[in-house]
Amino acid sequence: MRIDPILTIAKREYTTRVKSKGFWIATVLLPVAMAALTILPSLIAMKSRASQRLAIVDEVGGFGDTLATKLVEEDKTKSDPSSPLTDKSRRKEEAAQFKVELVPLAADRTAQRAELDRRVLAGDIDAWLWIAPEGLKQNQIEYHAESVSNFMTQNRLTEVASQVVGEARLKLAGIDAEKVTQLTHPLSLETLRVLAGGSRHEGGMAAFFLAYFLYFLLYMIVMLYGQQVMNGVLEEKSSRIVEVILATVQPIELMLGKLFGIGLAGLTQLGIWLTTMLVLTAPVVVTTIAVIPSDMLPQVTIPVVIHFLINFLLGYALFATLYATIGAATNNAQEAQQFVGFLLVFQIAPMFFLFPVINDPDSTRSVVLSMIPVFSPLLMLLRIVVKTPPYWQILTSYLLTGTFVFFLVWVCARIYRIGILMYGKKPTFQELWRWIRYT
Amino acid sequence: MSDNLELREVRKAFGDFVAVDGVSFAVPPGSIFGLLGQNGAGKTTSIRMIMDILAPDRGEVLFFGRPRRPEDLQRVGYLPEERGLYRKMTVTDHLMFFAELHGVKRAPASRMIADWLQRVDLAQWGKTKVEALSKGMQQKIQLVGTILHDPDILILDEPFSGLDPIAQILFKDLIADFKARGKTILFSTHVLEQADKLCDHICLVAHGKVILAGELATLKRERGGNVYRLGGRGTTERIAATPGVAQVLERQTGWKLVLESNAEPATVLRALVENVDVTDFRSEEPDLETLFLQAVRNAN
Repeated sequence: MRIDPILTIAKREYTTRVKSKGFWIATVLLPVAMAALTILPSLIAMKSRASQRLAIVDEVGGFGDTLATKLVEEDKTKSDPSSPLTDKSRRKEEAAQFKVELVPLAADRTAQRAELDRRVLAGDIDAWLWIAPEGLKQNQIEYHAESVSNFMTQNRLTEVASQVVGEARLKLAGIDAEKVTQLTHPLSLETLRVLAGGSRHEGGMAAFFLAYFLYFLLYMIVMLYGQQVMNGVLEEKSSRIVEVILATVQPIELMLGKLFGIGLAGLTQLGIWLTTMLVLTAPVVVTTIAVIPSDMLPQVTIPVVIHFLINFLLGYALFATLYATIGAATNNAQEAQQFVGFLLVFQIAPMFFLFPVINDPDSTRSVVLSMIPVFSPLLMLLRIVVKTPPYWQILTSYLLTGTFVFFLVWVCARIYRIGILMYGKKPTFQELWRWIRYT
Repeated sequence: MSDNLELREVRKAFGDFVAVDGVSFAVPPGSIFGLLGQNGAGKTTSIRMIMDILAPDRGEVLFFGRPRRPEDLQRVGYLPEERGLYRKMTVTDHLMFFAELHGVKRAPASRMIADWLQRVDLAQWGKTKVEALSKGMQQKIQLVGTILHDPDILILDEPFSGLDPIAQILFKDLIADFKARGKTILFSTHVLEQADKLCDHICLVAHGKVILAGELATLKRERGGNVYRLGGRGTTERIAATPGVAQVLERQTGWKLVLESNAEPATVLRALVENVDVTDFRSEEPDLETLFLQAVRNAN
C-alpha cells in the first residue's frame, strides 16, 4: 500500500464534494436552523403574551373581585425581568395575559349569557367566566370561548381560581389562608449540573435535548456520509472509470482514499457546525443575544466537541467501510438496498436504548452497550454528553471500536477487491463469504 | 535490448472457465503489437493481468525484462475497453486527477493538460463538466488521460470500438506518433483489417491459447506462398470443390484461394479451369485474416 495514490484519490473525493453547492447549502442550513431554534421560542413566547379579554360574571358573589385582581396582579410579577425564570414561571409566561372585565349579574340570566356569547362571536371579548353556585359546589366554574384548546391559558385560570376559591373556603372555615399556602406550597427541583470546572444551572430538559440532538446529528451524518461512499463506489462502477483507476492503484488504496476523502468532507462540515454550536451556546453569547434564559440552553463544551469528532470518525470508518463494500459488491442502487437494510438495523438499533441510557448512563446495561463496536459511537457519545463516564471506559470503547474497524477494513477490502470488477448479477451472502476467503 | 513487456505461461481461470490458458508472448520495444482474437478469446483478461488488475493463477508478467514493480504501471498508459469518466468533474480537474494518479506533479501537469487540450481542439472546454461533453469529446478526454503522463508503453483494449470517426483518426495519429517516438504500443482488437494496417507484431489468441505470434511481415512471408487471387466467372461452391483448394473467400472482384500446403499451384490451376472461366490467377501476400483462419484451422 502506498500513500501517494491514497492521497490523490482522497483529494479528488474531498474537493469535488467541498466544491459542490449542495455541501454548502447543507452546511449553512443546519446552523441557521439551530439559531432559529434558540431564538424562535423566545420570540414565540413574547408573541403569545397577547392579552386575553375576559369577562367574569360572579353569580355567587365575593369571588369576582379577588379573581380579577389576582389575574392582573400575577401578570405583573412575571414581566419583572429581575426575577429568575424557572420552568414554572416560564409556563406562566407562555400563557395569556388577562384583561378582566367584571360584569354585574343581570336579572335575566339567560339573556345575559346570550349577550356574552354574542360579544365573544363579535370579537368584543375572547372568553367569559361564569361562577355559578351549583357549579362551585361541584368545584367547577364555566369557561366560554370560541377556542377551548388554549390549555396553557386555562391552566392559569384554573390555578388562580382554585387559589381564590380555596382561600375563601379556608377563611370560611376559620383557618389562616396565608399560613396554609406557606405550609403547603409545592416544591420544584433546582437542577444544577456538576461539572469538573464547577457546577452550573441547567434545566433537566436542556441536558436531555442536547444529548438527544447530538445523538441524532451523529446518527444522521454517519449515515449520510456512509451512503455517499456507497454511491461514489457505485458511480465508479457504473461509469466504468474504476478500471482506469485500478490500473494505477490497488483496490485497497482506492477504497481507503475514498474513505479518507469523504470522511474529511464530513469532518469539515461537522467542524463548521460544532464551532457554530460552541459559539452559540457559550455563556457570554447566550446572555447577550439570546432572549431565553441561559439555563434553557445546554452548553456545548470543547470536550464534548472533541468526543463527538472521535465518535464520528469511528462510526464513520466502521459504517462507511461497510457501505463501500456494498457499493463494490452490487451493480446499482436498487441491488444495494437489500444490503443497506441489513446495515441500517445496526445503525438504528441504539435508538431503542436512547432513553434507558440517558436516564441511567452508568447502569451495567449502558456500559456494556457502549462497548459493543457497532453501537459504541452513538451510545458512548450519549453517555459522555449526559454524564462523563470514567476515562477507562471511554478509552476501552474507542480501542475496541478502533480494532474492530481495522478488522472490518481487512475483511471488506477482500470483498471490495473482487466486487469492484464484478459486473452482472448481485452476489449472495455465500459468494461474499467465498470472496473473503479467496486469496 | 530486453523486451518491454513479456508474459510467460500465464493462466487465469474463473471457476471452471479457463479464460487464459498458458499464454506467452513478448512485446519488443518500439513495436506496435496487436493482441488479436475473437470476443471471449481472452484478450481483455490478459491485458488486465498485465495491468495487475487481475492476478494470474500461474505464470508471470515481466516489465522491462524483470518482474513487474508497482511503479512500472506509472510508465504505462492504459485505456480499458470499458472506459468512463467522472461526470461531475471538469475536464481540467479530471485530467489533473489522471496525471496525479500517474505520479506527475501539478505544475508540469497543468502545462501538459493545456497543450493536449489545444491539440485535440478542446481548449475552450477545460472548465466544462464532463457530463456536458458529447460522446466524441469524452473519448478524446479519455485518450488524453491515458497518454498525459507520456508513458513508455501504451496499452489500449479495443481502442477503436465505439469511436466516432474524428476520434478514430485522432487515435491512429497518436499511435503513429508514439511509434515514431520509439515507444511501445500494445492494443487488442477483433477487427483484423485494422490490425493488419497498424501492427508490426501480432499475437493471435483463441480460447485462451496463443495460436500464432511473431513479426507480421515474417509471418506473412513464411506462411504466404499458397495464397492466390482468382478472377473469372464461376460459383464459390465449385471452386471450393476443386482438389488442392483448402479455402475460398469471396472478394468484391473474384476470390481469394488458400491452397493446401502440399498442392502444386499449376495442378490446381489446371483443375480450376475445368470448373471456372478463369481470367486471372496470381500469387498474393496473405492478409491477416488469411493467416488467422489458417492458424485456427491448424490449431484444430
